[in-house]
Amino acid sequence: MRPEAVELVALAVAALVLVLAFAPVGASRGALLAKGGAGVAGTAAVVAAPAFDIALLVMLALALLHAAIEGRRSFAARLRLPVLAVALLALGTVFARVEGPDVLHRFAAVGFAAGLAAALGLLPYIHTFEPEEQVTSSPVAWLGFVGPAVATVVVADAQGLLTADAGAVFSAVLLGLGLLNMAWGSIATWLTENDAAAWRYSFIADWGLVLSGFGITLADGQRASLIVLFAIVLGRLPLYITSRNAVRDKVKTERPINLLVAAALAGSAPFAGFSARVLLLRGATQLYWPLALVLAAGMLLWLPGSLRLGRSLGVPRGRQAVAVAIVLAISVAVGLYPLPLLTVARM
Amino acid sequence: MAWLGASLVVLSDGRRGLALGTFLAGAGVAVVAFPTAGLGGSAALAVGGLVAAAGRLVAGPQGWAILPAGSTPRLVLCVAGGLVALWVGLGVTSGDGASLRFGVISMIGFGSARVLSSHDQSVVLSALALISLAVGAAVGLAAPGSSVVPYVAAAVIAAGSAWIPIKVPSAA
Repeated sequence: MRPEAVELVALAVAALVLVLAFAPVGASRGALLAKGGAGVAGTAAVVAAPAFDIALLVMLALALLHAAIEGRRSFAARLRLPVLAVALLALGTVFARVEGPDVLHRFAAVGFAAGLAAALGLLPYIHTFEPEEQVTSSPVAWLGFVGPAVATVVVADAQGLLTADAGAVFSAVLLGLGLLNMAWGSIATWLTENDAAAWRYSFIADWGLVLSGFGITLADGQRASLIVLFAIVLGRLPLYITSRNAVRDKVKTERPINLLVAAALAGSAPFAGFSARVLLLRGATQLYWPLALVLAAGMLLWLPGSLRLGRSLGVPRGRQAVAVAIVLAISVAVGLYPLPLLTVARM
Repeated sequence: MAWLGASLVVLSDGRRGLALGTFLAGAGVAVVAFPTAGLGGSAALAVGGLVAAAGRLVAGPQGWAILPAGSTPRLVLCVAGGLVALWVGLGVTSGDGASLRFGVISMIGFGSARVLSSHDQSVVLSALALISLAVGAAVGLAAPGSSVVPYVAAAVIAAGSAWIPIKVPSAA
Protein backbone atom coordinates (compact mmCIF):
# COMPACT_ATOMS: atom_id res chain seq x y z
CA MET A 1 0.00 0.00 0.00
CA ARG A 2 1.21 3.50 -0.82
CA PRO A 3 1.90 5.37 2.45
CA GLU A 4 0.57 8.67 1.09
CA ALA A 5 -2.68 7.00 0.09
CA VAL A 6 -3.02 5.43 3.54
CA GLU A 7 -2.36 8.84 5.08
CA LEU A 8 -5.09 10.39 2.94
CA VAL A 9 -7.56 7.72 4.05
CA ALA A 10 -6.66 8.58 7.66
CA LEU A 11 -7.22 12.26 6.88
CA ALA A 12 -10.62 11.41 5.40
CA VAL A 13 -11.50 9.61 8.64
CA ALA A 14 -10.39 12.69 10.59
CA ALA A 15 -12.53 14.92 8.37
CA LEU A 16 -15.51 12.63 8.90
CA VAL A 17 -15.03 12.72 12.68
CA LEU A 18 -14.76 16.50 12.59
CA VAL A 19 -17.90 16.85 10.52
CA LEU A 20 -19.81 14.41 12.73
CA ALA A 21 -18.72 16.17 15.92
CA PHE A 22 -19.49 19.66 14.71
CA ALA A 23 -22.24 19.03 12.17
CA PRO A 24 -24.62 21.94 11.63
CA VAL A 25 -27.89 21.86 13.54
CA GLY A 26 -30.48 19.80 11.70
CA ALA A 27 -28.00 17.48 10.01
CA SER A 28 -28.59 13.77 10.55
CA ARG A 29 -25.46 12.36 12.15
CA GLY A 30 -26.61 8.79 11.58
CA ALA A 31 -26.96 9.31 7.85
CA LEU A 32 -23.66 11.19 7.71
CA LEU A 33 -21.91 8.39 9.57
CA ALA A 34 -23.39 5.68 7.37
CA LYS A 35 -22.65 7.41 4.07
CA GLY A 36 -19.30 8.82 5.16
CA GLY A 37 -18.28 5.49 6.66
CA ALA A 38 -19.19 3.71 3.44
CA GLY A 39 -17.13 6.27 1.52
CA VAL A 40 -14.12 5.75 3.78
CA ALA A 41 -14.47 1.97 3.55
CA GLY A 42 -14.64 2.12 -0.24
CA THR A 43 -11.65 4.44 -0.43
CA ALA A 44 -9.67 2.18 1.87
CA ALA A 45 -10.56 -0.79 -0.32
CA VAL A 46 -9.25 1.05 -3.40
CA VAL A 47 -6.01 1.81 -1.54
CA ALA A 48 -5.67 -1.75 -0.24
CA ALA A 49 -6.42 -3.43 -3.58
CA PRO A 50 -3.53 -5.75 -4.46
CA ALA A 51 -3.75 -4.96 -8.19
CA PHE A 52 -4.86 -1.99 -10.27
CA ASP A 53 -7.63 -4.03 -11.93
CA ILE A 54 -9.18 -4.76 -8.55
CA ALA A 55 -8.85 -1.10 -7.58
CA LEU A 56 -10.79 -0.22 -10.75
CA LEU A 57 -13.52 -2.70 -9.85
CA VAL A 58 -13.77 -1.27 -6.33
CA MET A 59 -14.06 2.21 -7.85
CA LEU A 60 -16.89 0.94 -10.02
CA ALA A 61 -18.68 -0.48 -6.97
CA LEU A 62 -18.11 2.76 -5.09
CA ALA A 63 -19.55 4.78 -7.97
CA LEU A 64 -22.57 2.49 -8.08
CA LEU A 65 -23.23 2.83 -4.35
CA HIS A 66 -22.73 6.59 -4.46
CA ALA A 67 -25.19 6.93 -7.33
CA ALA A 68 -27.72 4.71 -5.57
CA ILE A 69 -28.14 6.94 -2.52
CA GLU A 70 -30.84 9.57 -2.52
CA GLY A 71 -29.98 12.82 -4.24
CA ARG A 72 -31.29 15.56 -6.45
CA ARG A 73 -29.56 14.49 -9.65
CA SER A 74 -30.77 11.50 -11.60
CA PHE A 75 -29.12 8.12 -11.10
CA ALA A 76 -27.72 8.14 -14.64
CA ALA A 77 -26.30 11.65 -14.23
CA ARG A 78 -24.45 10.64 -11.07
CA LEU A 79 -23.14 7.36 -12.43
CA ARG A 80 -22.14 8.49 -15.91
CA LEU A 81 -18.74 10.07 -15.35
CA PRO A 82 -17.37 7.69 -12.71
CA VAL A 83 -18.19 4.78 -15.02
CA LEU A 84 -16.57 6.60 -17.93
CA ALA A 85 -13.56 7.15 -15.69
CA VAL A 86 -13.22 3.44 -14.98
CA ALA A 87 -13.63 2.70 -18.69
CA LEU A 88 -10.89 5.17 -19.64
CA LEU A 89 -8.57 3.87 -16.93
CA ALA A 90 -9.27 0.29 -18.04
CA LEU A 91 -8.51 1.15 -21.67
CA GLY A 92 -5.32 2.84 -20.50
CA THR A 93 -4.40 -0.30 -18.60
CA VAL A 94 -5.06 -2.51 -21.64
CA PHE A 95 -2.97 -0.28 -23.92
CA ALA A 96 -0.16 -0.09 -21.36
CA ARG A 97 0.02 -3.87 -21.04
CA VAL A 98 -0.25 -5.11 -24.62
CA GLU A 99 2.64 -5.42 -27.01
CA GLY A 100 2.52 -2.79 -29.70
CA PRO A 101 3.98 0.45 -31.05
CA ASP A 102 5.04 3.28 -28.72
CA VAL A 103 2.08 5.38 -29.72
CA LEU A 104 -0.20 2.86 -28.05
CA HIS A 105 1.55 3.45 -24.73
CA ARG A 106 1.14 7.18 -25.21
CA PHE A 107 -2.58 6.60 -25.71
CA ALA A 108 -2.47 4.69 -22.45
CA ALA A 109 -0.97 7.74 -20.74
CA VAL A 110 -3.75 9.94 -22.13
CA GLY A 111 -6.32 7.37 -20.99
CA PHE A 112 -4.97 7.40 -17.44
CA ALA A 113 -4.97 11.20 -17.24
CA ALA A 114 -8.44 11.51 -18.78
CA GLY A 115 -9.78 8.76 -16.52
CA LEU A 116 -8.38 10.50 -13.47
CA ALA A 117 -10.03 13.79 -14.46
CA ALA A 118 -13.35 12.03 -15.13
CA ALA A 119 -13.28 10.21 -11.79
CA LEU A 120 -12.70 13.41 -9.87
CA GLY A 121 -15.06 15.55 -11.95
CA LEU A 122 -12.43 17.92 -13.26
CA LEU A 123 -12.32 19.65 -16.61
CA PRO A 124 -13.00 18.48 -19.25
CA TYR A 125 -15.28 15.98 -17.47
CA ILE A 126 -17.02 18.22 -14.98
CA HIS A 127 -19.90 16.54 -13.13
CA THR A 128 -23.39 18.04 -13.11
CA PHE A 129 -24.01 20.01 -9.93
CA GLU A 130 -27.14 20.83 -7.94
CA PRO A 131 -26.42 23.57 -5.37
CA GLU A 132 -29.05 22.29 -2.92
CA GLU A 133 -27.95 18.65 -3.07
CA GLN A 134 -26.56 17.05 0.08
CA VAL A 135 -22.76 16.89 0.18
CA THR A 136 -22.78 13.09 0.50
CA SER A 137 -24.54 12.60 -2.84
CA SER A 138 -23.00 15.58 -4.66
CA PRO A 139 -19.84 15.67 -6.81
CA VAL A 140 -18.03 17.25 -3.85
CA ALA A 141 -17.92 13.77 -2.29
CA TRP A 142 -15.57 12.74 -5.11
CA LEU A 143 -13.66 16.03 -5.16
CA GLY A 144 -13.06 16.36 -1.44
CA PHE A 145 -13.48 13.03 0.28
CA VAL A 146 -12.99 9.94 -1.91
CA GLY A 147 -10.92 11.53 -4.66
CA PRO A 148 -7.63 12.38 -2.92
CA ALA A 149 -6.71 8.81 -1.96
CA VAL A 150 -8.09 7.40 -5.22
CA ALA A 151 -6.04 9.88 -7.24
CA THR A 152 -2.79 8.94 -5.52
CA VAL A 153 -3.48 5.27 -6.25
CA VAL A 154 -4.27 5.97 -9.91
CA VAL A 155 -1.20 8.16 -10.43
CA ALA A 156 1.16 5.74 -8.69
CA ASP A 157 -0.18 2.68 -10.51
CA ALA A 158 -0.24 4.47 -13.86
CA GLN A 159 3.39 5.48 -13.47
CA GLY A 160 4.21 1.87 -12.63
CA LEU A 161 2.49 0.56 -15.76
CA LEU A 162 3.81 3.12 -18.25
CA THR A 163 7.16 3.12 -20.02
CA ALA A 164 9.54 6.05 -19.43
CA ASP A 165 8.46 7.74 -22.66
CA ALA A 166 4.75 7.30 -21.93
CA GLY A 167 5.34 8.37 -18.32
CA ALA A 168 6.66 11.68 -19.60
CA VAL A 169 3.52 12.07 -21.70
CA PHE A 170 1.41 11.28 -18.62
CA SER A 171 3.20 13.99 -16.62
CA ALA A 172 2.79 16.50 -19.42
CA VAL A 173 -0.95 15.80 -19.73
CA LEU A 174 -1.35 16.10 -15.95
CA LEU A 175 0.45 19.44 -16.02
CA GLY A 176 -1.78 20.68 -18.83
CA LEU A 177 -4.92 19.53 -17.05
CA GLY A 178 -3.63 21.09 -13.84
CA LEU A 179 -3.12 24.50 -15.40
CA LEU A 180 -6.52 24.33 -17.12
CA ASN A 181 -8.32 23.43 -13.90
CA MET A 182 -6.42 26.04 -11.91
CA ALA A 183 -7.41 28.80 -14.27
CA TRP A 184 -10.98 27.69 -14.89
CA GLY A 185 -11.69 26.77 -11.28
CA SER A 186 -10.35 29.94 -9.74
CA ILE A 187 -12.00 32.26 -12.27
CA ALA A 188 -15.31 30.41 -11.96
CA THR A 189 -15.08 30.59 -8.15
CA TRP A 190 -14.81 34.33 -8.49
CA LEU A 191 -17.43 34.96 -11.16
CA THR A 192 -20.13 32.28 -10.92
CA GLU A 193 -23.50 33.46 -9.61
CA ASN A 194 -24.25 30.76 -7.05
CA ASP A 195 -22.15 30.55 -3.88
CA ALA A 196 -22.49 26.75 -3.59
CA ALA A 197 -21.26 26.43 -7.18
CA ALA A 198 -18.40 28.77 -6.30
CA TRP A 199 -17.33 26.40 -3.53
CA ARG A 200 -17.43 23.47 -5.95
CA TYR A 201 -15.25 25.37 -8.46
CA SER A 202 -12.80 26.18 -5.66
CA PHE A 203 -12.26 22.44 -5.18
CA ILE A 204 -11.56 22.15 -8.90
CA ALA A 205 -9.00 24.97 -8.68
CA ASP A 206 -7.23 23.21 -5.80
CA TRP A 207 -7.18 20.02 -7.84
CA GLY A 208 -5.44 22.01 -10.56
CA LEU A 209 -2.58 22.54 -8.11
CA VAL A 210 -2.60 18.84 -7.21
CA LEU A 211 -2.42 17.73 -10.84
CA SER A 212 0.36 20.24 -11.52
CA GLY A 213 2.28 18.79 -8.58
CA PHE A 214 1.76 15.26 -9.88
CA GLY A 215 2.95 16.43 -13.28
CA ILE A 216 6.16 17.89 -11.84
CA THR A 217 7.86 14.59 -11.31
CA LEU A 218 10.39 15.97 -8.82
CA ALA A 219 10.04 15.38 -5.08
CA ASP A 220 8.91 18.95 -4.41
CA GLY A 221 5.96 18.50 -6.79
CA GLN A 222 4.82 15.32 -5.04
CA ARG A 223 5.17 17.00 -1.63
CA ALA A 224 3.18 20.00 -2.79
CA SER A 225 0.43 17.71 -4.08
CA LEU A 226 0.18 15.93 -0.74
CA ILE A 227 -0.09 19.19 1.20
CA VAL A 228 -2.78 20.52 -1.15
CA LEU A 229 -4.68 17.23 -0.77
CA PHE A 230 -4.42 17.65 2.99
CA ALA A 231 -5.77 21.20 2.62
CA ILE A 232 -8.70 19.87 0.57
CA VAL A 233 -9.67 17.02 2.90
CA LEU A 234 -9.10 18.69 6.25
CA GLY A 235 -9.55 22.31 5.21
CA ARG A 236 -11.77 23.14 2.31
CA LEU A 237 -14.21 20.25 2.79
CA PRO A 238 -15.07 20.94 6.47
CA LEU A 239 -15.28 24.67 5.75
CA TYR A 240 -17.62 24.00 2.83
CA ILE A 241 -19.87 21.86 5.01
CA THR A 242 -19.83 24.54 7.71
CA SER A 243 -20.80 27.17 5.18
CA ARG A 244 -23.85 25.27 3.84
CA ASN A 245 -26.45 26.95 6.06
CA ALA A 246 -25.12 30.45 5.42
CA VAL A 247 -24.93 29.77 1.68
CA ARG A 248 -28.51 28.52 1.64
CA ASP A 249 -29.69 31.60 3.59
CA LYS A 250 -27.56 33.86 1.37
CA VAL A 251 -25.86 35.39 4.43
CA LYS A 252 -22.70 37.36 3.73
CA THR A 253 -20.54 38.89 6.44
CA GLU A 254 -17.23 40.71 6.53
CA ARG A 255 -15.83 39.96 9.97
CA PRO A 256 -12.20 39.09 10.83
CA ILE A 257 -13.10 35.38 10.84
CA ASN A 258 -14.25 35.68 7.23
CA LEU A 259 -10.93 37.24 6.31
CA LEU A 260 -9.02 34.49 8.11
CA VAL A 261 -10.99 31.79 6.30
CA ALA A 262 -10.42 33.57 3.00
CA ALA A 263 -6.68 33.68 3.72
CA ALA A 264 -6.63 29.97 4.50
CA LEU A 265 -8.57 29.13 1.33
CA ALA A 266 -6.30 31.36 -0.77
CA GLY A 267 -3.18 29.64 0.49
CA SER A 268 -1.72 32.64 2.28
CA ALA A 269 1.00 32.35 4.91
CA PRO A 270 1.01 30.79 7.47
CA PHE A 271 -1.66 28.33 6.31
CA ALA A 272 -0.95 24.93 4.72
CA GLY A 273 -1.69 26.11 1.19
CA PHE A 274 1.25 28.51 1.36
CA SER A 275 3.89 25.86 1.95
CA ALA A 276 2.35 23.78 -0.85
CA ARG A 277 2.59 26.72 -3.23
CA VAL A 278 6.21 27.40 -2.28
CA LEU A 279 7.12 23.76 -2.89
CA LEU A 280 5.25 23.75 -6.20
CA LEU A 281 7.02 26.87 -7.41
CA ARG A 282 10.37 25.48 -6.34
CA GLY A 283 9.72 22.23 -8.18
CA ALA A 284 8.54 24.07 -11.28
CA THR A 285 11.65 26.27 -11.22
CA GLN A 286 13.87 23.21 -11.12
CA LEU A 287 11.95 21.58 -13.97
CA TYR A 288 11.45 24.54 -16.33
CA TRP A 289 11.45 28.04 -14.87
CA PRO A 290 8.82 29.64 -17.19
CA LEU A 291 6.36 27.09 -15.77
CA ALA A 292 6.87 28.66 -12.34
CA LEU A 293 5.86 32.04 -13.79
CA VAL A 294 2.65 30.58 -15.19
CA LEU A 295 1.89 28.84 -11.90
CA ALA A 296 2.57 32.00 -9.89
CA ALA A 297 0.22 33.99 -12.11
CA GLY A 298 -2.43 31.30 -11.74
CA MET A 299 -2.07 31.31 -7.95
CA LEU A 300 -2.98 35.00 -7.84
CA LEU A 301 -6.39 34.05 -9.24
CA TRP A 302 -7.25 32.39 -5.89
CA LEU A 303 -7.56 35.76 -4.11
CA PRO A 304 -10.89 37.16 -5.35
CA GLY A 305 -12.65 33.81 -5.22
CA SER A 306 -11.38 33.08 -1.71
CA LEU A 307 -12.56 36.44 -0.43
CA ARG A 308 -15.97 35.63 -1.82
CA LEU A 309 -16.01 32.18 -0.20
CA GLY A 310 -14.83 33.62 3.12
CA ARG A 311 -17.74 36.06 3.12
CA SER A 312 -20.20 33.28 2.25
CA LEU A 313 -19.32 31.47 5.49
CA GLY A 314 -21.35 33.95 7.54
CA VAL A 315 -20.51 34.22 11.23
CA PRO A 316 -20.05 30.69 12.57
CA ARG A 317 -21.51 30.21 16.05
CA GLY A 318 -21.43 27.44 18.64
CA ARG A 319 -20.20 24.12 17.30
CA GLN A 320 -19.48 25.53 13.88
CA ALA A 321 -17.22 28.22 15.32
CA VAL A 322 -15.27 25.48 17.12
CA ALA A 323 -15.01 23.48 13.87
CA VAL A 324 -13.71 26.50 11.96
CA ALA A 325 -11.19 27.24 14.71
CA ILE A 326 -9.92 23.64 14.67
CA VAL A 327 -9.59 23.63 10.88
CA LEU A 328 -7.68 26.90 10.87
CA ALA A 329 -5.42 25.77 13.71
CA ILE A 330 -4.55 22.51 11.96
CA SER A 331 -3.91 24.38 8.74
CA VAL A 332 -1.54 26.81 10.49
CA ALA A 333 0.25 23.92 12.20
CA VAL A 334 0.83 22.08 8.91
CA GLY A 335 1.69 25.33 7.14
CA LEU A 336 4.41 26.14 9.68
CA TYR A 337 5.70 22.60 10.10
CA PRO A 338 4.65 20.22 7.30
CA LEU A 339 7.43 17.71 7.99
CA PRO A 340 5.35 15.20 10.01
CA LEU A 341 2.75 15.05 7.23
CA LEU A 342 5.47 14.42 4.65
CA THR A 343 7.40 11.99 6.84
CA VAL A 344 4.39 9.74 7.36
CA ALA A 345 4.02 9.63 3.57
CA ARG A 346 7.75 8.89 3.28
CA MET A 347 8.39 11.97 1.13
CA MET B 1 -20.08 -12.99 -29.39
CA ALA B 2 -18.84 -10.35 -26.94
CA TRP B 3 -19.03 -7.76 -29.71
CA LEU B 4 -22.53 -8.91 -30.65
CA GLY B 5 -23.71 -8.70 -27.04
CA ALA B 6 -22.19 -5.25 -26.55
CA SER B 7 -23.76 -4.15 -29.83
CA LEU B 8 -27.17 -5.35 -28.63
CA VAL B 9 -26.80 -3.26 -25.49
CA VAL B 10 -25.99 -0.27 -27.69
CA LEU B 11 -28.91 -0.92 -30.05
CA SER B 12 -31.62 -1.79 -27.49
CA ASP B 13 -33.76 0.31 -25.22
CA GLY B 14 -36.03 -2.47 -23.91
CA ARG B 15 -35.41 -4.87 -21.05
CA ARG B 16 -35.32 -7.99 -23.21
CA GLY B 17 -32.82 -6.56 -25.68
CA LEU B 18 -30.59 -5.29 -22.88
CA ALA B 19 -30.81 -8.63 -21.07
CA LEU B 20 -29.91 -10.62 -24.17
CA GLY B 21 -27.03 -8.26 -24.93
CA THR B 22 -25.67 -8.50 -21.40
CA PHE B 23 -25.95 -12.29 -21.43
CA LEU B 24 -24.23 -12.64 -24.82
CA ALA B 25 -21.46 -10.24 -23.86
CA GLY B 26 -20.86 -12.07 -20.59
CA ALA B 27 -20.81 -15.46 -22.28
CA GLY B 28 -18.61 -14.18 -25.10
CA VAL B 29 -16.01 -12.61 -22.88
CA ALA B 30 -16.00 -15.73 -20.69
CA VAL B 31 -15.18 -17.86 -23.72
CA VAL B 32 -12.34 -15.64 -24.98
CA ALA B 33 -10.96 -15.24 -21.45
CA PHE B 34 -10.87 -19.01 -20.88
CA PRO B 35 -7.22 -19.58 -21.95
CA THR B 36 -5.99 -17.00 -19.43
CA ALA B 37 -8.69 -17.08 -16.76
CA GLY B 38 -9.13 -20.81 -16.54
CA LEU B 39 -12.35 -22.59 -15.73
CA GLY B 40 -13.03 -20.74 -12.46
CA GLY B 41 -12.50 -17.27 -13.88
CA SER B 42 -14.47 -17.94 -17.05
CA ALA B 43 -17.32 -19.47 -15.10
CA ALA B 44 -17.42 -16.46 -12.80
CA LEU B 45 -17.65 -14.07 -15.76
CA ALA B 46 -20.38 -16.15 -17.40
CA VAL B 47 -22.42 -16.38 -14.21
CA GLY B 48 -21.96 -12.65 -13.60
CA GLY B 49 -23.31 -11.92 -17.07
CA LEU B 50 -26.19 -14.34 -16.58
CA VAL B 51 -27.28 -12.86 -13.23
CA ALA B 52 -26.96 -9.32 -14.60
CA ALA B 53 -29.10 -10.33 -17.58
CA ALA B 54 -31.70 -11.87 -15.29
CA GLY B 55 -31.83 -8.65 -13.32
CA ARG B 56 -32.32 -6.65 -16.48
CA LEU B 57 -35.32 -8.81 -17.41
CA VAL B 58 -37.30 -7.67 -14.38
CA ALA B 59 -36.75 -3.91 -14.64
CA GLY B 60 -36.68 -1.21 -17.28
CA PRO B 61 -38.81 -0.43 -20.33
CA GLN B 62 -40.90 -3.37 -21.58
CA GLY B 63 -40.12 -5.39 -24.71
CA TRP B 64 -37.12 -5.68 -26.99
CA ALA B 65 -36.93 -2.17 -28.47
CA ILE B 66 -34.02 -3.18 -30.69
CA LEU B 67 -33.15 -0.58 -33.32
CA PRO B 68 -35.83 1.96 -32.37
CA ALA B 69 -36.43 4.92 -34.69
CA GLY B 70 -33.42 7.22 -34.92
CA SER B 71 -30.87 4.58 -34.04
CA THR B 72 -28.82 4.83 -37.23
CA PRO B 73 -25.90 6.53 -35.41
CA ARG B 74 -25.86 3.65 -32.93
CA LEU B 75 -25.74 1.13 -35.78
CA VAL B 76 -22.86 3.02 -37.36
CA LEU B 77 -21.10 3.05 -33.98
CA CYS B 78 -21.44 -0.71 -33.65
CA VAL B 79 -20.00 -1.41 -37.10
CA ALA B 80 -17.29 1.27 -37.10
CA GLY B 81 -16.40 0.72 -33.45
CA GLY B 82 -16.19 -3.00 -34.03
CA LEU B 83 -13.86 -2.49 -36.97
CA VAL B 84 -11.62 -0.15 -34.97
CA ALA B 85 -11.53 -2.61 -32.05
CA LEU B 86 -10.72 -5.41 -34.48
CA TRP B 87 -7.93 -3.37 -36.05
CA VAL B 88 -6.42 -2.46 -32.67
CA GLY B 89 -6.86 -5.96 -31.25
CA LEU B 90 -5.46 -7.83 -34.23
CA GLY B 91 -3.45 -5.37 -36.33
CA VAL B 92 -1.92 -2.75 -34.06
CA THR B 93 -1.18 -4.97 -31.09
CA SER B 94 0.66 -8.27 -31.16
CA GLY B 95 1.04 -11.37 -29.05
CA ASP B 96 -1.38 -14.01 -27.85
CA GLY B 97 -4.97 -13.24 -26.88
CA ALA B 98 -6.10 -11.19 -29.87
CA SER B 99 -9.70 -12.30 -29.39
CA LEU B 100 -9.57 -11.27 -25.73
CA ARG B 101 -8.19 -7.85 -26.67
CA PHE B 102 -10.91 -7.42 -29.29
CA GLY B 103 -13.64 -8.45 -26.86
CA VAL B 104 -12.39 -6.27 -24.02
CA ILE B 105 -11.89 -3.17 -26.18
CA SER B 106 -15.32 -3.62 -27.80
CA MET B 107 -17.11 -3.98 -24.48
CA ILE B 108 -15.35 -1.07 -22.81
CA GLY B 109 -15.80 1.18 -25.84
CA PHE B 110 -19.45 0.34 -26.41
CA GLY B 111 -20.23 0.46 -22.69
CA SER B 112 -18.69 3.94 -22.46
CA ALA B 113 -20.61 5.16 -25.48
CA ARG B 114 -23.88 3.86 -24.03
CA VAL B 115 -23.24 5.38 -20.61
CA LEU B 116 -22.67 8.78 -22.19
CA SER B 117 -25.62 8.65 -24.57
CA SER B 118 -28.48 7.49 -22.34
CA HIS B 119 -30.37 8.87 -19.36
CA ASP B 120 -32.17 5.59 -18.73
CA GLN B 121 -31.23 3.78 -15.54
CA SER B 122 -31.47 0.25 -16.95
CA VAL B 123 -29.35 1.17 -19.98
CA VAL B 124 -26.64 2.76 -17.84
CA LEU B 125 -26.58 -0.25 -15.53
CA SER B 126 -26.30 -2.63 -18.49
CA ALA B 127 -23.34 -0.62 -19.74
CA LEU B 128 -21.80 -0.74 -16.28
CA ALA B 129 -22.14 -4.53 -16.27
CA LEU B 130 -20.35 -4.72 -19.64
CA ILE B 131 -17.49 -2.56 -18.41
CA SER B 132 -17.19 -4.50 -15.18
CA LEU B 133 -16.97 -7.85 -16.98
CA ALA B 134 -14.47 -6.41 -19.47
CA VAL B 135 -12.25 -5.03 -16.68
CA GLY B 136 -12.30 -8.48 -15.06
CA ALA B 137 -11.46 -10.25 -18.29
CA ALA B 138 -8.64 -7.78 -19.03
CA VAL B 139 -6.73 -9.13 -16.04
CA GLY B 140 -5.74 -12.04 -18.28
CA LEU B 141 -3.84 -9.67 -20.59
CA ALA B 142 -1.38 -8.90 -17.81
CA ALA B 143 -1.13 -12.04 -15.79
CA PRO B 144 -2.41 -15.20 -17.45
CA GLY B 145 -3.31 -17.78 -14.85
CA SER B 146 -3.74 -15.22 -12.07
CA SER B 147 -6.09 -15.88 -9.18
CA VAL B 148 -9.83 -16.08 -9.62
CA VAL B 149 -10.44 -13.08 -7.32
CA PRO B 150 -10.60 -10.31 -9.94
CA TYR B 151 -12.94 -12.36 -12.12
CA VAL B 152 -15.25 -13.03 -9.18
CA ALA B 153 -15.12 -9.35 -8.16
CA ALA B 154 -16.05 -8.28 -11.69
CA ALA B 155 -18.87 -10.80 -11.79
CA VAL B 156 -20.23 -9.70 -8.41
CA ILE B 157 -20.29 -6.04 -9.46
CA ALA B 158 -21.92 -6.84 -12.81
CA ALA B 159 -24.52 -9.04 -11.13
CA GLY B 160 -25.09 -6.67 -8.22
CA SER B 161 -25.61 -3.70 -10.51
CA ALA B 162 -28.78 -5.28 -11.87
CA TRP B 163 -30.32 -5.80 -8.45
CA ILE B 164 -29.20 -2.80 -6.42
CA PRO B 165 -32.13 -0.68 -5.12
CA ILE B 166 -32.03 2.83 -6.57
CA LYS B 167 -33.50 5.87 -4.81
CA VAL B 168 -35.38 8.22 -7.12
CA PRO B 169 -34.17 11.84 -7.26
CA SER B 170 -35.79 13.97 -4.55
CA ALA B 171 -36.87 17.58 -4.85
CA ALA B 172 -35.78 18.44 -1.29
